[in-house]
Amino acid sequence: MTAEAPATEPSRIAGAVETRLALDRRRRTRSGSELVVGLALVVAAQLALSAVGGFPESWAVPLADWIDEARRWVINNQTTHWSFSLVFNPISDSIDWGLRTVERFLLWLPWYVVAAAGAMVATSALGMRAGLLAAAGVLYFGAIGLWEESLQTVALMTVAVGISVAIGVPVGIASARYDRFQRNVRPLLDAMQTLPAFVYLIPVVLLFGVARVPAIIATVIYALPPVIRLTDLGIRTVSPATVEAAEMFGATPRQTLRKVQFPLALPSVLTGINQTIMMALSIVVIAALIGAGGLGQVVLESLRRLFVGRALEAGLAIVVLAMLMDRVTHGAAGLGTRRRRLRLMPDSLERLGFVRAIEGALGSVDRALCALGAVLARPMRHAPGLAPLARRPRWVLGLLALVVTTVVSAVLGRPEFPSAFTFSFASAMDWLVDWVRDNLYEIGGTRFGTGWFSDSITIYAVTPLRELFSTDLAWPVVVLAVALAGWRLGGVPLAMFCTACVAGLGFLGMWTLSMDTLAQVIVAVVMAIICGIPLGVLAARSDRFERMIKPVLDFLQTIPSFVLLVPVIIMFNVGRIPGIIASVLYALPAATRLTNLGIRQVEGEATEASRAFGATRGQTLRKVQLPLAAPSIIAGINQTVMLVLAMVVIAGLVGGGGLGLETVKGLRRTDSVGSGFVAGLAIVLLAMLLDRLLQAWTRRFTPVEGGP
Amino acid sequence: MKGEFGGHYIGPVVTTEQTPLECHEVTKVFGDNLAAARTLLAGGCDRQKVLDQTGCLVAVRDATFSVERGETFVVMGLSGSGKSTLIRCLSRLIEPTSGTVKIDGTPIGDLDDQELRELRRQRLSMVFQHFGLFPHRRVIDNVAFGLEIQGAAKADRYERALEVLSVVGLGDWADHFPQQLSGGMQQRVGLARALCVEPEILFFDEPFSALDPLIRRDMQEELLSLQARMRRTLVFITHDFHEALKLGDRIAIMKDGEFVQVGTPEQIVSAPADDYVREFAEDAPKTKVITVGSVMQPLDGEAPPGEPVGLDAVLEDVLPRLLANSEALGVVDDQGNVVGAVDRARVADLLGESSRASAARAGRGAERR
Repeated sequence: MTAEAPATEPSRIAGAVETRLALDRRRRTRSGSELVVGLALVVAAQLALSAVGGFPESWAVPLADWIDEARRWVINNQTTHWSFSLVFNPISDSIDWGLRTVERFLLWLPWYVVAAAGAMVATSALGMRAGLLAAAGVLYFGAIGLWEESLQTVALMTVAVGISVAIGVPVGIASARYDRFQRNVRPLLDAMQTLPAFVYLIPVVLLFGVARVPAIIATVIYALPPVIRLTDLGIRTVSPATVEAAEMFGATPRQTLRKVQFPLALPSVLTGINQTIMMALSIVVIAALIGAGGLGQVVLESLRRLFVGRALEAGLAIVVLAMLMDRVTHGAAGLGTRRRRLRLMPDSLERLGFVRAIEGALGSVDRALCALGAVLARPMRHAPGLAPLARRPRWVLGLLALVVTTVVSAVLGRPEFPSAFTFSFASAMDWLVDWVRDNLYEIGGTRFGTGWFSDSITIYAVTPLRELFSTDLAWPVVVLAVALAGWRLGGVPLAMFCTACVAGLGFLGMWTLSMDTLAQVIVAVVMAIICGIPLGVLAARSDRFERMIKPVLDFLQTIPSFVLLVPVIIMFNVGRIPGIIASVLYALPAATRLTNLGIRQVEGEATEASRAFGATRGQTLRKVQLPLAAPSIIAGINQTVMLVLAMVVIAGLVGGGGLGLETVKGLRRTDSVGSGFVAGLAIVLLAMLLDRLLQAWTRRFTPVEGGP
Repeated sequence: MKGEFGGHYIGPVVTTEQTPLECHEVTKVFGDNLAAARTLLAGGCDRQKVLDQTGCLVAVRDATFSVERGETFVVMGLSGSGKSTLIRCLSRLIEPTSGTVKIDGTPIGDLDDQELRELRRQRLSMVFQHFGLFPHRRVIDNVAFGLEIQGAAKADRYERALEVLSVVGLGDWADHFPQQLSGGMQQRVGLARALCVEPEILFFDEPFSALDPLIRRDMQEELLSLQARMRRTLVFITHDFHEALKLGDRIAIMKDGEFVQVGTPEQIVSAPADDYVREFAEDAPKTKVITVGSVMQPLDGEAPPGEPVGLDAVLEDVLPRLLANSEALGVVDDQGNVVGAVDRARVADLLGESSRASAARAGRGAERR
């Protein structure tokens, strides 16, 4: 330090501050001016091309005709060509055989045996209370007179999930083992998960026709990614030290896999199977469109005839099935909180004497049954293949009881589900629908109500946007705007990709329909974000609020997308708006969850430090928590968009119009398979376009990993 | 039990002449540009220069040493000195870039996968820093893992595992899972697992550094007493100089991937090769390391009265007697011949020197501040 330094120091600092401020200003004006220039470019282009309008229909490639031709060829050659007689038909036949066998077996079982089996599985995974609920759920299938349809859906699920697991686990293992394999499989999985379930139905229909087998194949394709991914992840996250120890003892790669890696990856694999089941369920329902039958068929038929009550009954059965399967596999994966098994009453009632007495009695009954089971299991201990069962006396006893009951029932003649137990609330629901129409559309003579609400959205948001995109804006302007966005977020490659996608929509001849769907997606996404993110912030700041909305979000995420439409239709009637509202509900959990998670994951120390400097709660939120949570929130928005797209497409079923409706038409009528296929392709393009743009956006917010 | 489970790697008949473990110029370089790094190394460039020019990290460089049967060879170095890489090169858990490792005279670099596995199954074993236990297996199945891999029958491997578990004092914990045990107990399981296959050579990769000081001391004592009974060949990695002195028959001090000095604890403490080693040596408990033989005066004239002490007794053993009376003590060799004498003054000189040195160092530190 020299003597004159102190004198010059302040001025030097002032100079540095000046430069820095100037730099900041310049940076801000640069990103601002980029936006302005971009907008100006778009506006100028629009002014210059104002006469052009939508994509010229004459430019469309006659892809639909080619597809129809291919379809005709398939029909004509189905019995003769080698690819069918040697490849597709055997696959189809064996799946069909499997499905029939499972279905026949399930329907052959007496109803009380099915209910008891459900209760047993749920009890062993989650506890007795869940077991009783499971039995009640199964009985509900019979009670509403949908016993056969429900078990058909269960059979479809069993076969589809079985195939998914049989393919997914080995592929997952291979992808964990070989990096090169993983690099090749991953983009495929990404693409598979990006596309709405719907899209898979069409090519499958093309090759396998309309029936239950193509439904299963589409389901398997759609539901496969989570098992593969989570098997891979589970094996890869086994600690390298553990694997090294196995190697040091001279384990072969196969031994390491079987004895160390796979057992340790099992919870992750089971989580994957859980997700696969949920995805399979959501598409099995939609697959009713191509003749999969089951509960989905009932919902679909009822909706088409506007028997909303019946649709709700069947929809509820699907929800019950979904919840049962979700909770049970969740519990089996050891993810849920493990309860003590034999608790019938809430724990808070424990202090009451008679409750303790009941629980105690249950406990001793269980112990007695266990002892009995152990005696019965003794001879099994040395039988090959039965040894693992012999360690579970409850299972031995339960299975024996089920088998004996089934055999006795079979001898005495199989009982039908007793008609005395059946009930229906369909007519009550239909009455409610009428009441809603008469009373809520315009509440109490004012013009406000659900009718007003949906009209406003239509008049002020959806219609103008659709008009803007499809006819008012010249198509090259739309392409330019999307390309500019792509360039800004991901450089030239992304810009080119975006251009190709948007132009592709035009060349497929789907410009107007695509813009219609896009408008609906945008409106729904904006609504979902406006509702979802503030809810997430609230949930992050208040544990009580989080606890309150958690079951609601769980419920919304468990319901298959298709079923969600039913209650919305009760409120808003058919048309574009129920589709949008259902999309908002469907996508809301993603936005809320990831916002909540992102904020909660901010390190306690960072928040604490901010408080220690005297920041208010609002300042802490704005300056520390939200910026740090940004990657998670953006990821939430990304998921929201993809979920909305999937739902908007399905909403085509209830008058949503757009690409979804076109696809459905293709699935329904054999003569329009071609145009359905093309609409499906347009959905794929739209999905990839949005996904890539959003991924690039997310990446900009992800902090750079690793140091120098 | 060895050889019982088949496998076609049949090592040479174990003779006392064969050195169990020999390393010759073992080098490990991490990175993509290996060829360039090799050239630079051959030209004598140092580690930083290789890193700057090729982006390759030289983890171990020209490690040459051999370990005798029944010897405990300790490799001591601070973190990043390459010791963990070195010990992994010895069993080819990490493939060395160059150099040879011979086990019982067989160069292990030439073994194919199957032979390497057999070698690991039959003759080597390892104890890991963070225990490396299998969290999904009970203690007994962890310990029996090596035998299971070799295809031993369940009854046999459980019998052996229980035997070893009781040796390390965990006989009652066989049916627990590793997470239910304390850190010290978990490492006992790790030790039992390594011993269960009756290996000839045991590798220890900083096995006690994750443990509390008191438990660490217990484990060190236990290892010493086990080793006194078994006399296996041990290679032990540590970053704790005191641990090295306590356990090692010989110690290699490692810095930046290279051996700085190899020698007995006494050689290292009394004649550090450079300043780096001296820094460690100054803090060493000298009385526990330096032997009477190295401080005694050659005998001139008559042997001192009183009972003589052995050449290899450490100072700590003789200090009480030297302090109790001013007489010198006679020193005898293995045959019982009196070869020298040691007195208070000699010992005081030696200890004084080290305390002067540390005082000087403290002074330098104070100046700097």
